[in-house]
Amino acid sequence: MRRAGGFWRRTSQQVSAEVEAEICFHLEARVAALEREGRTRAEAHAEALRRFGDVGGTIASCVETDLRRERRMERRELVREVMQDALLGARQLAARPGFAALCVLTLGAAIGAAASIWAVADHVLVRPLPYDEPERVVTLWEVPQEGGRAEVSPANFVDWRERSRSFSAMGLAEPFSMDLTGEGAPAVMRSWRVTAGFFAALGVTPVLGRSFTDAEYTTGARVALVSHAAWQQRFGGDAAVLGRVITLDGAGFEIVGVLPPSLEYPAPEELWTPKVFRPEELTDRRSTYMHAVARLAPGVTVTDAQAEMDVLAARMAEEQVANRGRGIAVVPLDTEVLGSARPIMLVLLLATGLLLLIACANLMNLLISRGMDRGSELAVRSALGAGRWRLVRQLMTESLVLSVCGGVVGIALAYGGIRALIALAPADLPRLTAVAFDSRVLAFLITLTVISAALFGGLPALRLSRSDPMSALRGGRARGPLDERLRRAIASAAIAFCFVLLIAAGLLTRSLLSLIDNDLGFETSGRATVQLFLWDNNPSAEQRVLRVSELIERFEAIAGAERAAAVSSLPFHPHAINSMGGFLIEGAPPEPEETGRRVFTTVVTPDYFDVMGIRLLAGRTFTDADRDGTTPVVIINDRLAQTYFPNESPIGRRVSGGVMAGPVTREIVGVVAAVRPSSFDSEPAPELFVPHAQHGTGSMTFVVKGSRSPNALIADMRRTVWSTDPAQTIYHDATMSQLVGRTLAQRRFQLTLIAAFGVMALSLVVLGVYAVVSLWARERRRELGVRVALGAGAADIFRLVLAQALRIAAPGLLLGALAALALSRGFAHLLYEIRPADRLTFTLAALLLLVAAALAACLPARRAVRTDPAHSLRSD
Amino acid sequence: MAERAVQLLRGTLDVLILKTLAQRGELHGYGIVAHLESATDGALMVEDGALYQSLHRMEERDWVESAWGHAENGKRAKFYRLTAEGRRRLRTETREWVRYAEMVFRVLDPEAAT
Repeated sequence: MRRAGGFWRRTSQQVSAEVEAEICFHLEARVAALEREGRTRAEAHAEALRRFGDVGGTIASCVETDLRRERRMERRELVREVMQDALLGARQLAARPGFAALCVLTLGAAIGAAASIWAVADHVLVRPLPYDEPERVVTLWEVPQEGGRAEVSPANFVDWRERSRSFSAMGLAEPFSMDLTGEGAPAVMRSWRVTAGFFAALGVTPVLGRSFTDAEYTTGARVALVSHAAWQQRFGGDAAVLGRVITLDGAGFEIVGVLPPSLEYPAPEELWTPKVFRPEELTDRRSTYMHAVARLAPGVTVTDAQAEMDVLAARMAEEQVANRGRGIAVVPLDTEVLGSARPIMLVLLLATGLLLLIACANLMNLLISRGMDRGSELAVRSALGAGRWRLVRQLMTESLVLSVCGGVVGIALAYGGIRALIALAPADLPRLTAVAFDSRVLAFLITLTVISAALFGGLPALRLSRSDPMSALRGGRARGPLDERLRRAIASAAIAFCFVLLIAAGLLTRSLLSLIDNDLGFETSGRATVQLFLWDNNPSAEQRVLRVSELIERFEAIAGAERAAAVSSLPFHPHAINSMGGFLIEGAPPEPEETGRRVFTTVVTPDYFDVMGIRLLAGRTFTDADRDGTTPVVIINDRLAQTYFPNESPIGRRVSGGVMAGPVTREIVGVVAAVRPSSFDSEPAPELFVPHAQHGTGSMTFVVKGSRSPNALIADMRRTVWSTDPAQTIYHDATMSQLVGRTLAQRRFQLTLIAAFGVMALSLVVLGVYAVVSLWARERRRELGVRVALGAGAADIFRLVLAQALRIAAPGLLLGALAALALSRGFAHLLYEIRPADRLTFTLAALLLLVAAALAACLPARRAVRTDPAHSLRSD
Repeated sequence: MAERAVQLLRGTLDVLILKTLAQRGELHGYGIVAHLESATDGALMVEDGALYQSLHRMEERDWVESAWGHAENGKRAKFYRLTAEGRRRLRTETREWVRYAEMVFRVLDPEAAT
């Protein structure tokens, strides 16, 4: 008994006809039965209809029910078919595990890379900052006459606050460090002192406890807010932290609240206290060290605010000498925090996109080439009545199986990749703490998987399903003339993509190399540094001079240490305290203090230049004889010498000035080579060096040069510090190599990523060229056999196959070069002393690709040479 | 007869059809009606239209399946039979029906019930 309905869907007419027939039969049977009971035909008819009830209504209701059932069965059938196709696809893949593994890994690597980058890019490019109405938050900066921008001076900020109308809240944050004692080992708490309006401008409220009151802001009460991280790490995440009194710089501060983890501006420090301006700050328009934030009033745009501040800046420039030529910059918080990371993330995202495209292109080639082997199978299915749509669906399902496997690999890779990225990324990449493998990354992965399947499966499916069954069955192989050109074009495009990546990696490498090649002016290896603030425990200058020389002696006594020195501002140090001050040359006409030349002043101990390997160019370095009470002396760097003593020897000249040096006139005794102050590409500035014995400052960084590993030296230096003063906090420690390496972290990061992509792309290119060339050779087995039979040598055949690689590579390289030229101008700012069109980089990248393409073609070429001509003529 | 005929409670028709198919195997719609009528000596009044709506609904739920065949008179008719799902359904419905009837009976005739 055949099931009614069956395999194919019935039309609604068929369904109605069947229902009508069924009910007709019922009525006839009833009439016949009634007639047998002795009723007349008319009576029987009337009775049958009466017993049936509403005939029309019943038919309509039954038809509706049946149609619903038809639709459901159709859906079920579709699911069944897709499952069947998927199973078939899986079996197809399992039948050729090598091919399957290759495809899955290729795709998985590309999807995983793309998702890893996306996880970071999502936070940098897409998601809004975690503040209340973040688009209204702006940062404010002073724009010095020489350009660039600077933090804000307190007196100027007070004026801005009083005289601007654009903002509903404005606040300042001042970086400040305090020693935390009484909670285990003495620790440095990096903190921000903030004015009223700071939290309001950001729209941040404590997650626990309360914010500061107006009264606390006015009086500068000893209250503190702690960051979420500090709360978790130092105070165990306990709500009892509220009301707790901690000792900071010897004074008790009550903790009144805990800030949300999202608060990362100006930097995610541990502690926040109320800021009260000191009287001298209210007139200080030159010391720019405060971070200003403001909230735009409702309806005010950044442009409006900038226009208002421009007018205000012009007015203030007229009113105060210090503001002459100075402007004000209004920068959206968004741009300030993420702006620098955005182009990099965009480049990386593009790179992963290209990578995925290459992978898809290769898979497409492999699928088309493999699909040709399956030409007969498909033709049989088509001859057996499977429609073209059915074949396309089957092929697409197979592609989806492939890409789902790739997606699973991708998920695993992305999970590890995101961790690797977080570990590898430079610390200044914003919002990295928020990056995680979350549902958004997963959604992205799934989207990529489906899109990839469509990308690499679509064209092969359409193409293969179109094959004419008859010719396929006869010839055993489906092949269109366009296929080969298309395949070559795809492989060429892959080479173009790879070329762009290799050029980018090459340019970044050359930039990094030429950057590292820059002479820093000092040695980095084998140097350990420890930064201390000696003010609190050594109140007088004499005490500090003694303490510093005592520490140096003790450091030199550490096993493996050779020499030690101390400096007030170490180059490349993240917490270097640069002092800049006025500078006067005795005998030269004095310049007004407000506009006069200013130079950096650095305090050093005698052996500093020796320990750091800074070259002495003229005169002498400091000695122990340069003490308090002897002739005040100073050493200058050659930059200062060239600027102020261009045609004469500065030795013996007398100068005065510098904030730290105070108004003391000093004699120049030596000239040293200038050092790069903060990065490999930072320009040395004019600098004065003053002996510590004549200027006992308390903020000193100690440098020890030794034969042992600097990390081991640091551990000993820390112990030494605490053995002489258990209450001394150690503000910062690092090896000199770490300090220098830190400035390259971002470039290294970019380079590592682009190079990784480049290598992945290169392996994809090899795969792609191999697929296309081996297919080409296989299709021409007969032709090649004929050539051999006609006397062509092995070398000729080899050359012929190898030439195919060139036919693919040449247009790819041309296209890639054009694309690289167009794109590389976009990241010219990431380069250093290298033009985006660097000839060496282009040549090397092209050579590498040519060699890779040739190597990929070698295998099929050798196979072609080895083939027995008689055999290849017979087969096929 | 019509006045004295017992009106079916809602949902009862389904279980009666299932039971009929369980006893008699394959039947067409009229066969089911005829069986119900003879089994109750014509006292149970079923509107034939309702029976077909019930059959189609149960087919949608996969309780019964149908196929075209030939009736005793040689004419083409649609035959119904129980599915495994329908058989399960019949068991639970029957159990519930008996329980229901017992409850009702307990209230109506407490002495007989105890």
